[in-house]
Amino acid sequence: MDQVGALLDRPKFYYNIDGLGELSGGLMFLGIALLLSLPADSVWHKISWFILLGLTLAIPHGIKAIKTHITYPRTGFVEYRKSDRRRTSVIGGMAGALIPLGLFVAMRHRWEIATLASLAGLILAAAYAYRVARAVRWKWIVACAIALGSIVIGFLPADVLAAMANDSLVTHPLRARLGGTIVVSFIAYGAMLMISGGISLWLYLRNTHPPAQEEQ
Amino acid sequence: MNPQSRTIAELDRVIHEPGRLMVVALLFAIDGSDFLYLQHETGMNKGTLSSHLSRLEEAGYVEVVKTYRGKVPQTLLRLTGAGRRAFDHYRRKLKEAL
Repeated sequence: MDQVGALLDRPKFYYNIDGLGELSGGLMFLGIALLLSLPADSVWHKISWFILLGLTLAIPHGIKAIKTHITYPRTGFVEYRKSDRRRTSVIGGMAGALIPLGLFVAMRHRWEIATLASLAGLILAAAYAYRVARAVRWKWIVACAIALGSIVIGFLPADVLAAMANDSLVTHPLRARLGGTIVVSFIAYGAMLMISGGISLWLYLRNTHPPAQEEQ
Repeated sequence: MNPQSRTIAELDRVIHEPGRLMVVALLFAIDGSDFLYLQHETGMNKGTLSSHLSRLEEAGYVEVVKTYRGKVPQTLLRLTGAGRRAFDHYRRKLKEAL
C-alpha cells in the first residue's frame, strides 16, 4: 500500500524534476531582496513595485516556456488537477497575507525580529523537505542548509542586520533592523534555492534526452 | 473461503496487474498526461505500455483525449469516472485484505 501511496505522490514531485520550481522561487527571493536593498535615492525607487509585479507575472510564463521546450519533449507533459492548482494558490495567498500580518504584530509588540525570521526560515525548511527533499535524497542537504541558515540569522548581531538595510528603500517604511533581516534572509534562501535548482537542471539536462535522440 | 481470501479474490484484476496498477495510480493523482510521461515514470517500453493502456481503455478505465497545447496537437491520457471509482474501490479492498 505504501508503494501505491508513493506512486500517487510522484506527479507532485514531477513539477520540480528539472529544478525550475526551485529556480523560480530563488529568483523571487533574490529579486525582492535586491529591490529592498536599493538605495533610497535610487532611480529605481519609484518603479520598484512595478518591477516586482512584472517579475511575479513574468516568472510563471518563463517557466511554462522553458518546460514546453525542454521538459515536455524529454520526460512528458502532466496536466495537474484544477483542485490541486487552486489549493496551491490558496496556500500561497494565505502565506503572502500572513507574512505582512506577522511583521505588523511583531513590530507592534516589539518582538525580536531575527528570532521570528529564524522561525519563518525553519517553517520554509520543513515545507521544502516535505515538498522537494522527500523525492530527491541529496536535497535533504539543501533543507538542512536552509534550517541552519535560519538559525544563524537568528544569532546575527542586530547592528549587522541593520547595516544591511542602511539607507535603503526599506529603512523608510520599516525599521532598519527589520529590513536588514528580511534582506539577509531572502538573499540566503534565494541563493540556496538557485544553487539547488541549477544543479537539478544541469543533472536533468545531462541525464535525459528527447526519445528521438535516445534511439540514435 | 474465509473473508480475507474472498476480499483478495474480489480484487479488480484489470487494475491488480503491476504495470497497469502503476499507470492507474499515476493517472489518478492528475487530470491527465501524455504517453511520454507515463513511459518515463513507469520505465516500460512503448509496446508494453501501449498494451496496458489498450487493456485499460477496453475496460473503460482510461480515455484518450485529443487536445491542443497552444497550437501543438497533443494526445492526453485520462482516467475516466469509472476508472477513478474502480481504483478507489481497489484501494479499499486491498487495505481490507492487508
